[in-house]
Amino acid sequence: MEAAAEPGTIAYYLDLLRIGDQGWGDELLAGLLLTLQLALCSVALGLVFGLAGAAAKVSSAWPLRALGGAYTTTIRGIPELLTLFLIYYGLQYAIQALFGLFGGSGPVAVNGFAAGVVALSLVFGAYATEVFRGAILAVPRGQMEAARALGMARSVAVRRILVPQMWRFALPGLGNLWLVLIKDTSLVSVIAFSELMRQTDVARRVTKEPFFFFAVACLGYLAITGISTLVLGWAERRAGRGVRRA
Amino acid sequence: MAATLDVRDIHKRFGALEVLKGISLTANQGDVISLIGASGSGKSTFLRCINLLETPDEGEVRVDGELIRMVVRGGRVKPADPVQVDRIRARLGMVFQSFNLWPHRTVLGNVIEAPVHVLKKPRNEAIDQAMALLDKVGLAAKRDFYPAQLSGGQQQRVAIARALAMEPLVLLFDEPTSALDPELVGEVLKVMQDQAGEGRTMVVVTHEMAFARDVSTRVMFLHQGRVDEDGPPSEVFRAPRSERCRQFLAKLL
Repeated sequence: MEAAAEPGTIAYYLDLLRIGDQGWGDELLAGLLLTLQLALCSVALGLVFGLAGAAAKVSSAWPLRALGGAYTTTIRGIPELLTLFLIYYGLQYAIQALFGLFGGSGPVAVNGFAAGVVALSLVFGAYATEVFRGAILAVPRGQMEAARALGMARSVAVRRILVPQMWRFALPGLGNLWLVLIKDTSLVSVIAFSELMRQTDVARRVTKEPFFFFAVACLGYLAITGISTLVLGWAERRAGRGVRRA
Repeated sequence: MAATLDVRDIHKRFGALEVLKGISLTANQGDVISLIGASGSGKSTFLRCINLLETPDEGEVRVDGELIRMVVRGGRVKPADPVQVDRIRARLGMVFQSFNLWPHRTVLGNVIEAPVHVLKKPRNEAIDQAMALLDKVGLAAKRDFYPAQLSGGQQQRVAIARALAMEPLVLLFDEPTSALDPELVGEVLKVMQDQAGEGRTMVVVTHEMAFARDVSTRVMFLHQGRVDEDGPPSEVFRAPRSERCRQFLAKLL
């Protein structure tokens, strides 16, 4: 067995990040991967919530508008952490009650990942609803009129004319929400889901090297957000094609 | 034989304001009807009632003999069958004041969009037809440009090609040159004149009195939601019977 490096030296810190039983590298990488999975699943579901919410809010049917309003008002009005607790414990009660109905008994554990995705996507969706609503209203009326005047059915016109133009207006706002979402995944650490923040926390408690591991976690989050910023820039340029070239 | 376009007794209210107080119009194959009048006279609203971009509160629209069926639901007049409206709109081309080209599609993309996605034409066929039309409006070389790269006059010519690609029975023009710089008006009027020369049935809301006088087969002067003067351009421009029409023309000519 090789001698442990002297605390405080560079070799000592590199040892802390080793892959394997001795170091924390593999745990942190696994945490980073879970953070990324959590964020990607949440954004996918969250975009669906956001589009549905925006469609409801610009609908001509008042019950849909009321439903959309209730959704965004509630979710945007309570802290994300509380939403997560409500989903996590609420789901447990709900499933337990459902089990009870069929004669089952005993405690039910809810998967932290599932609860995290549901809570984060609900939050993302509520804010995205407003982003999409604004984007829909930003597309000039004449765009849909030109399509309808040519005999295009409403659903086709929405898909081929409104939505592609709406993205251009929605992307900057959605980019913001995505960055917020990545950071909000750290909240899921409080229900003992071992994403990056949770793994960092375990590592710093065992090693008594809080600042080192906090710094490593910062780099982990910055890696995801940095790459995201590049991808978002590309997407915005693509959605703006035909607009800024003149 | 049924008239190409037969619009009867259209009424339209916006709240308490009655914008159209019973306007009728009949166009036969090859007619070019100019609607003139001061702003606020209701001419654009009337044009938009013909293809139901505005829903008339009363009145009937028949295209090639087919009546657009309306129903009253929840105290409001609505088309009975949205599919029928889409089918009839596909036969009525419309050209807007502000062009309304789709900025995310190229010139060619704008022209083939409806033939491919409404008429379900094969893409190749739609492209061949679109190129012939773009050639006709003098813009074949711009096929891969985006609308923002074109001048207003070029955009409006693309918009006319887009409407023509549906092979419409009637072309509706809503002040097609009002948003253009003066030096670009001519190229658009030229394309419209060519269409009239080919026997295209057209209804044109316009402030271009020279076009109304020289190209149209009939001129209707609207005032406060009513037809105040109606006749062949020779009569309307030389000897208008209505005093208001006389004053309106005196200001413009």
